[in-house]
Amino acid sequence: MNTQKVISGFFIILAMTLNFGFFYGDIDTFTHHSPYELFFAIVVNLIATILKLGDKTQVGSVLLATSLVADLQLLAAAIVWGVSVYVFHGDVQNYAQLVVSLSGGALMANIVSVIIFMGDTLKSKR
Amino acid sequence: MHNNIFWIIIRRMRTPLLVIIITFSITILGLVLIPGVDSNGKPYHMTFLDAIYFVSFMASTIGFGEIPYEFTYAQRLWVLFSIYISVIGWFYAIGALVTLIQDKNLILELNVAKFNKKIQNLKEHFVIILGYNHSTRELIKQLTADGKRVVVLDKSQEKIDELELEHFVPEVYALKANVESPDILRLAGIKKRNCKAIVSLFDNDFKNTKIALLAKLINNKINIIVKSSTTEQTQHLKNLGIKNIVDPFNLIANRFYLAISAPHLWILEQMLFGHDLYIHDNEQLPKGKYIICGYGRMGKALRSSLQKTDTDCSFIDLKSAKHKAEKKSAIFGDAQDYQALLEAGIEDAVAIIAATKDDLINLTILLTAKKINPDIYTIARENTLDDVTIFQAAKIDRVYILEKIVSEYVHRVISQPMAHQFLQIIHQHTEEWGEEVVEELKRKTCYHPEIFEVRIVKSEAYALTNYLKDGNKVRLGQIARDLSNREKRAKIHFLMVKNRKEEVTLLPDDNYEVKVSDRFLIAATPEARENFELLINNVNEFEYTITGHELQFGILKKILEVKEEI
Repeated sequence: MNTQKVISGFFIILAMTLNFGFFYGDIDTFTHHSPYELFFAIVVNLIATILKLGDKTQVGSVLLATSLVADLQLLAAAIVWGVSVYVFHGDVQNYAQLVVSLSGGALMANIVSVIIFMGDTLKSKR
Repeated sequence: MHNNIFWIIIRRMRTPLLVIIITFSITILGLVLIPGVDSNGKPYHMTFLDAIYFVSFMASTIGFGEIPYEFTYAQRLWVLFSIYISVIGWFYAIGALVTLIQDKNLILELNVAKFNKKIQNLKEHFVIILGYNHSTRELIKQLTADGKRVVVLDKSQEKIDELELEHFVPEVYALKANVESPDILRLAGIKKRNCKAIVSLFDNDFKNTKIALLAKLINNKINIIVKSSTTEQTQHLKNLGIKNIVDPFNLIANRFYLAISAPHLWILEQMLFGHDLYIHDNEQLPKGKYIICGYGRMGKALRSSLQKTDTDCSFIDLKSAKHKAEKKSAIFGDAQDYQALLEAGIEDAVAIIAATKDDLINLTILLTAKKINPDIYTIARENTLDDVTIFQAAKIDRVYILEKIVSEYVHRVISQPMAHQFLQIIHQHTEEWGEEVVEELKRKTCYHPEIFEVRIVKSEAYALTNYLKDGNKVRLGQIARDLSNREKRAKIHFLMVKNRKEEVTLLPDDNYEVKVSDRFLIAATPEARENFELLINNVNEFEYTITGHELQFGILKKILEVKEEI
């Protein structure tokens, strides 16, 4: 068993599941989307990104790219949420669709990441 | 190479980044979850923005205070815990970044990247020199004085720093690297078209051979110049197809032979290094019995040249290392040594040569010899350039400085290929021929001519090249004219010419027809050299010299032409 694979696999898949957890629910209703879940999704995504750093192979580079995309989308979602609450003092509901769809984009990137990760693992002879 | 720097940073920063993310997320989450009390006494939960803001200034120890409301004790307990983990995490990351900046590997990679960029951007011809020591330093001085670009590799950082302190102009590109690695040689630009030569002058013959072989395999067209100090090694290198082998002992032996048997050829050779066209009093080698102290590589080489001239000579077999071990000092001159000198026949000898590997022993041999026989002619081998002043102060008649001889030789091969070839040709001639040439040079130029090379191409001889390309013919006598009066011959003498097909004409006469791409080796007075270079480049001067008329151009020319028609 490869400990490094376990750890990085754990974080990569956890990033996807948390992302999905936040995304799942009615797109218009904020009560369906917990800010804690978004927070954890961001943290776990960042950790997954750093774990992917330093792999010089072709597959490693693509994995890193998917993670960077997911980070970007999730951070954008968090920033939109924060700005809508604190800067515009407006009805958060107006921005719910944007926040959730941004996290949906991140989910796509995470799914691609998991698929590549699984493919790479299956291909490995060890 | 840039990639390497990137990966070093990434690999080093992985753990610190992980630590920061984890500690920050734990503390932020705690602050959000723990309930607080606002100014009205109502319970509230910190928002994520507040928590991230608070943790950011807390971890970096800026500390703006408790916001948005004063903390409860439950919150303070959590903050207490948070301070320790996040501040430690933050400092660890900063520390890792600072160590990374000072990291030897990273600095090395940065230097390699900088060096690589400089080499890639080089457009002019350049020479790679391996190892920075006394001889190569001399060589770099001479090459940079000619405006040549030099690239230096040395395995020790100290040497590189030393080189950088010298501030050569144009800048010498230097890198600390293992010179025996093919990758490094490629990095130094050995495969580039504008790399003209690679020079390896290490004391270690095997190292030189290895480098020569590597260089030959990587780039077959490059000019490889290596030092070899034994005949076997020289033969070995010749078998590899290396053309330029510097054997200092062989060089000295040749010069010594010339100095004894053909002083005028010797003068011609020395003239290329700026010697006057006559022999100074203290340079006249006496005829008679010679004593050679030290029967090493140099002693043997000198003996063979002495034997060729049928000069009587005797030996004192002295090994510097053995001498030092036995006498426990590097001084020659106790009773036993006196006896050895007397036995070798110092009293009726005319010259003594100190040729051991140790400079101090060489010096004391000659001083002791002078005590016994004050009129004796003294010749010393000087191994390093360190002690030049001591040898000068000791008033030794002739000093052979190995390192200087090597560097001068290599410089000539690189910078003055014509002069180099000229030397090889004159070695095949007789003393009578040499005397004639020297006398002619004295008559036509002066006692101290400058030697220079000119190639008939546009960049070096603009006017002449254009004139020739128009289909005109020029004889050598036509351009060897004085600028102020074309009836007079300039103080200039042509030593050698090599045409496009590499055919060599020694001492071309005034009827020689100049062609484009000819290379000339010329001796001239400094003034005549300046004039000659002006003449072949400046259209006006050239026209005057060839036709005797001033060149007319522009409006004036048109007016004059109209007048003529009328």
